[in-house]
Amino acid sequence: MTGSLAAVRWFRAHDSLVGVTLLIAAVCILGAGTADRFFSFNNMVNVYEQSTDLALVSIGQTLAILTGGIDLSVGSLISLTSCLTSGLIDGDPSRVAPVLVAVLALGVLIGLVNAALVIGLRVHPLIVTLGMSAILQGVTLFYAMGPVGKVPRDFSFLAYGRVGGFPLGATIAVMLCIIVALLLRYLPLGRQIYAVGDDDNAARLAGLPRSRVLMLVYGCSGFCCAATGLYLAARFGSGQPYTGVNYTLASITPVILGGTVLRGGRGGVVGTLLGAFLISLVNNLLNFMDVSKQYQLVAQALIIILAVSVYMHRREPT
Amino acid sequence: MLRLKGIAKSFPGVRALNDVNLDVRPGEIHGLLGENGAGKSTLIKIIAGAYAPDQGEILFEDTAVRWSSPREAKQRGIHVVYQEFVLFPQLSITENIFVGHERRTRIGTVDHARMRREARELLERLGVSIDPSVSAGSLSIADQQMVEIARAMVRQVKLLVLDEPTAVIAGREVKLLFDRLRRLRAEGVSIIFISHRLEEVFALCDRVTVLKDGELIATTDVANVTRERLISMMVGRELGDLFPPKRTAPPAMTPVLRTEALSVDNRVRDVSIALRPGEIVALAGMVGAGRSELAHGLFGVLPISGGAFYLEGRRFTSMSPAKAIKLGMGLVPEDRKSQGLAMQLDVAANITGPALHEVTRRLLIDTESEASIARHEISRYRIACRGPQTPVATMSGGNQQKVLVARWARICRTVLIVDEPTRGVDVGAKAEIYRILRDLSEQGLAILMISSELTEVVGMADRVIVMREGQVTGELAGTEATEQNIMNLATIERAAGHA
Amino acid sequence: MTDAVTQTAEAAARLGPLPRLRSSVSRFGIFMLLPALVLLGGAISSTFLSAGNISNLLLQLAPLGIVAIGQAFVMIVRGLDLSVASTMATAAVIATGFSGSNRDVAMITVVVLATSVAVGLLNGVLVAKRQVSPFLATLATMILLQGFRFAYTQGAPSGNVPPLFRVLGSEKFYGIPYDFAILLVLAVIFWIVLHRSAFGRRVFIVGGNPVTGRMLGIRTDVITIACYLISSCLAGAAGLILSGYVGLVDNWVGQGYELDSIVACVIGGVSLKGGRGSIPGALAGAAIIMVAANEVLLFGLPIQIQIIIKGVVIVLAAALYAR
Repeated sequence: MTGSLAAVRWFRAHDSLVGVTLLIAAVCILGAGTADRFFSFNNMVNVYEQSTDLALVSIGQTLAILTGGIDLSVGSLISLTSCLTSGLIDGDPSRVAPVLVAVLALGVLIGLVNAALVIGLRVHPLIVTLGMSAILQGVTLFYAMGPVGKVPRDFSFLAYGRVGGFPLGATIAVMLCIIVALLLRYLPLGRQIYAVGDDDNAARLAGLPRSRVLMLVYGCSGFCCAATGLYLAARFGSGQPYTGVNYTLASITPVILGGTVLRGGRGGVVGTLLGAFLISLVNNLLNFMDVSKQYQLVAQALIIILAVSVYMHRREPT
Repeated sequence: MLRLKGIAKSFPGVRALNDVNLDVRPGEIHGLLGENGAGKSTLIKIIAGAYAPDQGEILFEDTAVRWSSPREAKQRGIHVVYQEFVLFPQLSITENIFVGHERRTRIGTVDHARMRREARELLERLGVSIDPSVSAGSLSIADQQMVEIARAMVRQVKLLVLDEPTAVIAGREVKLLFDRLRRLRAEGVSIIFISHRLEEVFALCDRVTVLKDGELIATTDVANVTRERLISMMVGRELGDLFPPKRTAPPAMTPVLRTEALSVDNRVRDVSIALRPGEIVALAGMVGAGRSELAHGLFGVLPISGGAFYLEGRRFTSMSPAKAIKLGMGLVPEDRKSQGLAMQLDVAANITGPALHEVTRRLLIDTESEASIARHEISRYRIACRGPQTPVATMSGGNQQKVLVARWARICRTVLIVDEPTRGVDVGAKAEIYRILRDLSEQGLAILMISSELTEVVGMADRVIVMREGQVTGELAGTEATEQNIMNLATIERAAGHA
Repeated sequence: MTDAVTQTAEAAARLGPLPRLRSSVSRFGIFMLLPALVLLGGAISSTFLSAGNISNLLLQLAPLGIVAIGQAFVMIVRGLDLSVASTMATAAVIATGFSGSNRDVAMITVVVLATSVAVGLLNGVLVAKRQVSPFLATLATMILLQGFRFAYTQGAPSGNVPPLFRVLGSEKFYGIPYDFAILLVLAVIFWIVLHRSAFGRRVFIVGGNPVTGRMLGIRTDVITIACYLISSCLAGAAGLILSGYVGLVDNWVGQGYELDSIVACVIGGVSLKGGRGSIPGALAGAAIIMVAANEVLLFGLPIQIQIIIKGVVIVLAAALYAR
């Protein structure tokens, strides 16, 4: 096999990654031409940082979508974990470590409950996570009807600190992405995620451990949501009961832009990370161009439509 | 190795199995025969752990077992290759072969390089030369079957069940498969082999069990039984000739359909054939030869990439299904469940499918006239169902096929294309379908019958056109149309290089 | 081997726990749960079965029911319409964008219709011609409309809803709310369209299997686009009615209706996989959601519990009924 043939093969297999990268490049070029200081190093780092929250939650969402399902409970879980974090720590630095662990564990636990309901009740994940979303929102409101608690400065470092010039939070997101990508590629259960997503019935007949796959997937998604909640608590200083509302639908866009198909069975987290970066980039550019917030929404929607109808329409299997 | 005692299984309204015994020895190839609805697939699913029997016990390796899921059966060494493939379309061939049994490195991670290598070797040994990194969904049906078989080979199987493995492969691949199976037998593996092709059963199996209507009829050594005896055990009666007599009078001279260097979707190239009213022309060849693609091109499902065809004298370089239907063409597709029938609807809706305008009055459907049309067709073709409102999903393969034939036979005036008309259909229904097709041709339709079953081709066709790799390799008629000649034309090596 | 036994068995196996209960409950159970819930409500609270409460219930049910009808069409044709809430809100904003008097009713209706048609066309073309996944296409449309809405109102909407819409949205005659009457009329019309017309038959065929649809000579893209058009036009109508109920203008009118209508359909037996479902089922699903919410309200439970119960009802009902 000649080198060029292998290269073409690689491009074909990863056409969505290439597509996202090209889009990012296109936006950069457009931005560089429209506004100076857009394409500066500082600004790029800024964009990188702004994409942290979306990136964190979308990584978990990617896993759920890969199995042909979806996690609509992410928004409420983010609200819950963010409130619990700031509420339980309540300014006391000695509580940071235990609360951190507890909140992350809670995220995983809720994810496992989602998986258990999907498996045990045989209901579509869309419905299960939707119902769970309402339940979690109610629980959150029990805990706090308004902003609650506060976090000490050390904790805020998570959101605002820098490590070697790069934002800590965003770097953690990247590392999480790498870990998940490795899991997907080198863990047998990770490979089976793709199989379950591709054809659930075939997976059952092939004797694949569907239950374990779903637990892994929704458990990870719960973990990512908890991480996002922690990050938001660090960023805003206190948790809000409705802070996660927009993240539910927003977490899906980077996943799709990154090449994961909604039907499941194809895609990956690296594309999602790039997708989150792209969205953050576009928002940033629009800010630079002084486009009012309202039109930013329009622009976002147009980008999605453009991206999907141009380079995506071949990918969703009919 | 495996012993089933007194197995019974019922589903709402259907008694699938009743007091069935089966005994498979280690190092034996055991054939399982029976018409559709005889209970073979239920039995297999029970063996595989997909269903639990209502009564009876299963002994595997002399211990009583009760599978709670297919997973458990697999872990004990049972592997089933189903007739409807259960491949993962978006995953690569390598991943399909190894899913659930991924090869690991010493630290326990998935070893991709080793799996790629092993997959390539395995495929070569089975005679398939395809890059294993290709996605399984893009493969031809024959190659998909080989991948399914490859999957079975990498497991540590003690009991291998093959459900109609040769339905879509032929010739060299069958020979290689049989060699492998014999080698497995020599290693002490038990194999259950299901096939409608009795010649294969005689060639491969040591013993054979016949099921009928959920009951065990007999288990016997292959050496002690004849073909006719097996058929009569399966069907329960002496069958007359399976095929109706061919036409004696010569067909009309002017062809109703004529293609002129027709190319379809770049998969069929330069085909020039003609069909005359009153003829049954068989389109023979291996799976993947381009026959279905030619049919889809004529019917407008696939685009015409070159040439043209003439229907009743009119020239066409493009077509759509709606136009084809208006011109009196019909197509009974290869896969009735995923291409032909609207599975969630009833018999009446499926019969009127392409002719909805006939039962539409002022935009609404006239259910009365639709039901009466359906009743007429049900009695005409002896379709076994409770009535026009019977959901097609509950009917047997043979009856489903009859519904499809009824649907098109009603409205076809010119050409009826039937693609594998008796695949997955029991012997009794087969005979009826053959009769229906012959009757239709006598009424003036030209019938293009795509078939991979040589006995069917020889038995039904007035003329045989053979294709290979998208082109016509020859035409045979009368006494020349023997199975051997057809096979030769179907597997001819072309002078120009292969891909 | 595709025989009758196998298919019945596979259907049985797919039903999961309590198979016999599920299969008999699944077809008609939805229409048993509703009366059961009503009886429960009556048993626990004396005001539940009062004429006033019932007619209020019907009043609030109408907009969701109308949207659920449209969503059912889209879901049956193997799609999903997430843009309905946004379309409703846009209709509400348009309703308040004129003088606020009945002179402009015709104008408002025309503009809302035009907008809905545009949205439906965009959704349908994206899904049918560009093979975009319905989730994504309608999500994008939803955001697009939201953006235009915000830009138009500058975040601070103002204006009045014409009195005619206020009447239709919140008044009753002889105890029957006008909007419920509208719902009934629409329900009958679209029941006929879906279950008795040739178009409806084609919707089921295409939704069950687009390949089969093509082979039968059906224009699958036209059918798909038509369903999205129905959904967005019904959403527009529901938006006008809801704006009449709410009274004042609000950028977020109808928020949550997209997911609620999907849940109503799923509970009502409309399959997420397409090809199956019914209008009465979708409406029963919508009614269950509303009745459950109403009961919870009457119990005087705090808002948190109300929301939690909603979630539990969704999961339980789907566990029993969804196919």
